[in-house]
Amino acid sequence: MSDPTPADGRTRRFRLFRYRRGDGAPRSETFDVPVGASRTVLEGLRWIKVHADPELAIRHSCFHASCGTCGVRVNGREALACVAALDATTTSVTVEPMANHPVLADLVVDMGPFVDRFTEPHPLVRPVEPAAGPAMSPEGEPHERFEDCIECGLCLSACPVAATDDTYVGPAALAYAQSLLDRGEGDRDAILDWADGPGGAWRCHAAFECTEACPSDVRPAQRIMALRRELVRPRRRR
Amino acid sequence: MTGADREYRRIRAERDRPGPVLRKAPGPTAWFDVRRGRTGHWAFSLNRITGIGLVFYLYLHLAVLSLLLAGPESWDGFLHLATTPIFLGLDVVLIAGLAIHGLNGLRVALIGTGLVPDRQKALFYTLMVLGAIVVVYSILHIAESA
Amino acid sequence: MSVRPSRLRSAHVLIVGGGGTGGALAHDLALRGVRVTLVERGEFTSGTTGRHHGLLHSGARYAVNDRESAVECIDENLILRRIAPGSFEENDGLFVALTDEDMAYYPSFLEGCEATGIPIEVLTPAQALSMEPGLNPGLRAAVRVPDATMDAMRLPLRFFATAKRNGAELLNHVEVTGLLIDQGVVGGAAIHDHVTGRDAEIRADIVVNATGPWSESVARMAGVDVPIRPSPGVMLAVRGRLCQMVVNRMHASGDGDIVVPQRALSVVGTSSWVVEDPDDLGVPEDHVRRMIEEGSRLLPAVADAPFRAAWSAARPLIGTRGDADSGRELSRTFKTIDHADVDGVEGFVTITGGKGTTLRGMAEVCADVVCRKLGSDEPCRTRETVLLPHTAAFAA
Repeated sequence: MSDPTPADGRTRRFRLFRYRRGDGAPRSETFDVPVGASRTVLEGLRWIKVHADPELAIRHSCFHASCGTCGVRVNGREALACVAALDATTTSVTVEPMANHPVLADLVVDMGPFVDRFTEPHPLVRPVEPAAGPAMSPEGEPHERFEDCIECGLCLSACPVAATDDTYVGPAALAYAQSLLDRGEGDRDAILDWADGPGGAWRCHAAFECTEACPSDVRPAQRIMALRRELVRPRRRR
Repeated sequence: MTGADREYRRIRAERDRPGPVLRKAPGPTAWFDVRRGRTGHWAFSLNRITGIGLVFYLYLHLAVLSLLLAGPESWDGFLHLATTPIFLGLDVVLIAGLAIHGLNGLRVALIGTGLVPDRQKALFYTLMVLGAIVVVYSILHIAESA
Repeated sequence: MSVRPSRLRSAHVLIVGGGGTGGALAHDLALRGVRVTLVERGEFTSGTTGRHHGLLHSGARYAVNDRESAVECIDENLILRRIAPGSFEENDGLFVALTDEDMAYYPSFLEGCEATGIPIEVLTPAQALSMEPGLNPGLRAAVRVPDATMDAMRLPLRFFATAKRNGAELLNHVEVTGLLIDQGVVGGAAIHDHVTGRDAEIRADIVVNATGPWSESVARMAGVDVPIRPSPGVMLAVRGRLCQMVVNRMHASGDGDIVVPQRALSVVGTSSWVVEDPDDLGVPEDHVRRMIEEGSRLLPAVADAPFRAAWSAARPLIGTRGDADSGRELSRTFKTIDHADVDGVEGFVTITGGKGTTLRGMAEVCADVVCRKLGSDEPCRTRETVLLPHTAAFAA
């Protein structure tokens, strides 16, 4: 929560990754941002863009961890900038783009390769499990809710396997495939074949960094393990 | 085509080219990056390092065993080397490597087959503590018999 | 002076602004065979569109005081469910009366919904509580309305995805630095690309200003004025999915009178004030406190729910200088302004106002104006065209 004209003069140092196409190499740039104007990393980045450098390229949309567009690395750790809180004692912060996604400019990455890893377009809405929600609608139908996964790509950034191998489809895609199987949706055999292939579920080394990084409680690592259990069970059709 | 059109096409072409991909840090140095990982990252890195170490050890071991083919003098020579403190120290390193790699592998197997409910971090710490106990015991045992 | 009619295929329209309106307009024009380029200075929907609470309006909120908006909303509500299946949590909404004042508003609310064609269902408090156990148990009346929840970014992104597939050129991180004007005719825009750091020009037969609360600053580049007042409001997201249906307060618009479930969060909105600069909004703490107060009157659990985020978003409200100070009294309807008619500037159109729910309808009206200027009466096809999934907007 911030005011456009913070009264106290304290600032904190933002160290930002800067890159433009055509640059030989990326560089680092520092900005001093008023503490009151940077209660979250995203607020600070926007302050910099509005007051210090309009050239700064950043990605954001919903401001409340629902759209998944503001994924960055804060002090080396994956986070959504819009909810990455900076308390009064933090005097400096380093912000870099996510790892394992191609950088477009500054803190913006190209999400195309991430989205391409999914087996099929990610459905947004699913029925609420009866036990999870309160009373269902009067017609007795379960309520609907959106999938937890907001496609932020933080899991892929955190994954040590993805850091060394671009053919690994990554936690988000595998977690999504598993959630389809969980609900009995999608072509079960096609999904299992895809997960069984090179770059699929067996490529995971159980680091669980993806689950640590996930802001939406998707628990991709646990889902990958569940997918593996599905793969080793005898299949119904062959 | 005007200059402005040429500029526009240049912009499009440059944007369409794939950009650089940041990794946690270049290559294997990522394994040692303290900031960027939590326990899972460390488990992964330790497993890789000990795995490489054990492969290296395996070749060494086979080379040493081949000394048996060369007769009793070469084997006796090796045994003399094998009781020096440095070598015994390396033995401890080997045991640590085996413990870490084996127990971590056990963790991955237990998690992967769903035999252990969702407590992977606790499992990691427990097994590493167990491994530490094994290493400490072996240090004491080796020191005793040396 | 008028633009010489040209065949649509050889015409080029440049849309400035990549929010929901720009995306829907790109989609509509692409379907009519027009060559479209859209430029957005940030990420698509990063302006106002992405920040709203995700309500697919039934229009009931406007049924009493702004019937034009209410009808627009309910029409578009039904169309969007058809053309974007799978993008809405179709759980309906509730309007809930708590006080005597609310109960006094109740009859005109029912009347307004009837007059505007919004299908509603009157419920007893007990029925409402069984549907939404988290409601304030002291509620006095409840009406079920066809609200729904959308993902504020991903729903518009489906328009972008479909437009892209149909040949529209969509460029994010490209900022318009000025318009190209020659003798009172706008012929394109000067752009700066944030990805490469380079500048260029894009020539077009018509430039459409679809920048929402930034409409004024873009219009000034053409030397014209548009009656837009950026009117921000604060929203608050708390942890916990405290309701499945959208919960509204049954009264004339006020602060904190809606709670929308968003995945595992609940979003409480909103407030209203007027600013000059839509880039520098701030998040007034007293407004956030009011969200908590008012929100917990609807759903008591809001008071203790852990904080997740608080932010501001600027609505583009149509009104001239001197109109109401808080922004609430300004109409929520939308407007297409052909600057050739109004200001004598050819080749420049502004589309502004409106709500997240009416994006397709706004685009239809604007596309009609644009095509007429280009000398064509090609019909709109967006009412029936089912949209591609949102991921296609990013896919290679």
